[in-house]
Amino acid sequence: MSAQITVEELAELMKKAAGVTVAPQDLQQRYDSGFDALGIDSLGLLGIVGELENRHGTPMPPDAERCKTPRQFLDLVNTTLMAGA
Amino acid sequence: MSAPYPRRAAVTGIGVVAPNGTNTDTFWKSTREGISVLDRITREGCENLPLRVAGEVRSFEPSSSIEERYLVQTDRFTHFAMAAADFALEDARLGDADAEASPFSLGVVTAAGSGGGEFGQRELQQLWGKGSRFVGPYQSIAWFYAASTGQISIRRGFKGPCSVVAADEAGGLDALAHAARAVRRGTDVIVAGSTEAPLAPYSMVCQLGYEELSIVQDPARAYRPFTDDACGFVPAEGGAMLVVEDETSARERGARVRASVAGHAATFTGASRWELSREGLAQAVRGALDEAGCAPEEIDVVFADALGVPEADRAEALAIADVLGTHGRRVPVTAPKTGIGRGYCAAPVLDVAAAVLAMEHGLIPPTPNVFDISHDLDLVTVRARAAELRTALVLSRGLMGSNTALVLRHGAAEAS
Repeated sequence: MSAQITVEELAELMKKAAGVTVAPQDLQQRYDSGFDALGIDSLGLLGIVGELENRHGTPMPPDAERCKTPRQFLDLVNTTLMAGA
Repeated sequence: MSAPYPRRAAVTGIGVVAPNGTNTDTFWKSTREGISVLDRITREGCENLPLRVAGEVRSFEPSSSIEERYLVQTDRFTHFAMAAADFALEDARLGDADAEASPFSLGVVTAAGSGGGEFGQRELQQLWGKGSRFVGPYQSIAWFYAASTGQISIRRGFKGPCSVVAADEAGGLDALAHAARAVRRGTDVIVAGSTEAPLAPYSMVCQLGYEELSIVQDPARAYRPFTDDACGFVPAEGGAMLVVEDETSARERGARVRASVAGHAATFTGASRWELSREGLAQAVRGALDEAGCAPEEIDVVFADALGVPEADRAEALAIADVLGTHGRRVPVTAPKTGIGRGYCAAPVLDVAAAVLAMEHGLIPPTPNVFDISHDLDLVTVRARAAELRTALVLSRGLMGSNTALVLRHGAAEAS
């Protein structure tokens, strides 16, 4: 498993954990739109975080599930993964 | 808030997802023809349980009408509810524009017997198979019996009164009465009803403890209330949602007033104490007739609870006679649920849907698989019977002891 979460993996997790389908290239263009605008509620984001933790065997910081946008989220989880690597 | 006119609760929309039809038209045609769809249970993981026969909803594809994120978040019983609510709202010609214009004038009431068993089982298997980190967060809401009310209100943007009735099987009728009360108190529209999905391994095992459950393996013989061969009831999934609406505002917006919710009463006589349900049911019927201002002779058809347990069937037949007197022996009684099974709280709501359709078509649907009646009832069997139907009485009892009666009037309420 790559140490970094790509936009492709985030798009896949959004579909799996929250049932929200957004193509990776669209997600890249909507990096700064809110998760709520993408149709992801707080439980959906919690599910994405849980799935990431299980895949990477690393706990994510509590702020991960409070991120408002994909950019914030990817910055935070990738910094965390980098630090743990 | 004082209303400028007496507010009456009308049924303006019907949405059905049932074992014998996944839309209202198919449901009515199969019900009218007395087609039995009871069959061997085919759901994965359910094949080797002592409960073999049920009413499965086989031709329902949730992804064709429900957005993926709602599918991921919810159990099958909520998929049924969201689809049935859509059908009912469409039937009543209420769309998203109505919810956007006045979100607080629309609400939701559902009843549920057990909630999302299939979803819950999957997540609990994750918990004990892999650990708590593998339980998805939507478990916190999806298996809850209140999930359908919440998800319908979120999905449709309804911000008016929302509630859930947990009152045993008869709660399906209580939910409609609760909706009618909300309408009389000032809410214009309530989407109300019940759907259930009890045909999954964990849910089925839970039901095996019910002594009233039929474990007869022949679908044609498994559920035959009011006969000497009565051997319990067969469960079912699916259900119905109705639009219950203020009659005057319905008329003002040009909606069709299909029936009035005229009277309701509920009593409680204890779990599996079927002999006592005679008095409890009779008292519920008296209360419902009283609220409807309806004389016993005015009842044109009775949709029976029809549990299929000899003692319970006897109690119901006697309760009908106790309240309706000599009219009780003449009034046509039917139990179309013998062709589809009892979907717990959803069963009496499907009966209400069938009763409204029966009044509209002047046709009493028959009681499939039932032939030799061993009670003093005029049970409609084999084929539908034509009759002028202005008033219908729907009865329901729960395994835990609830007894409910609901009186429906055809079309708009008469000025009284």
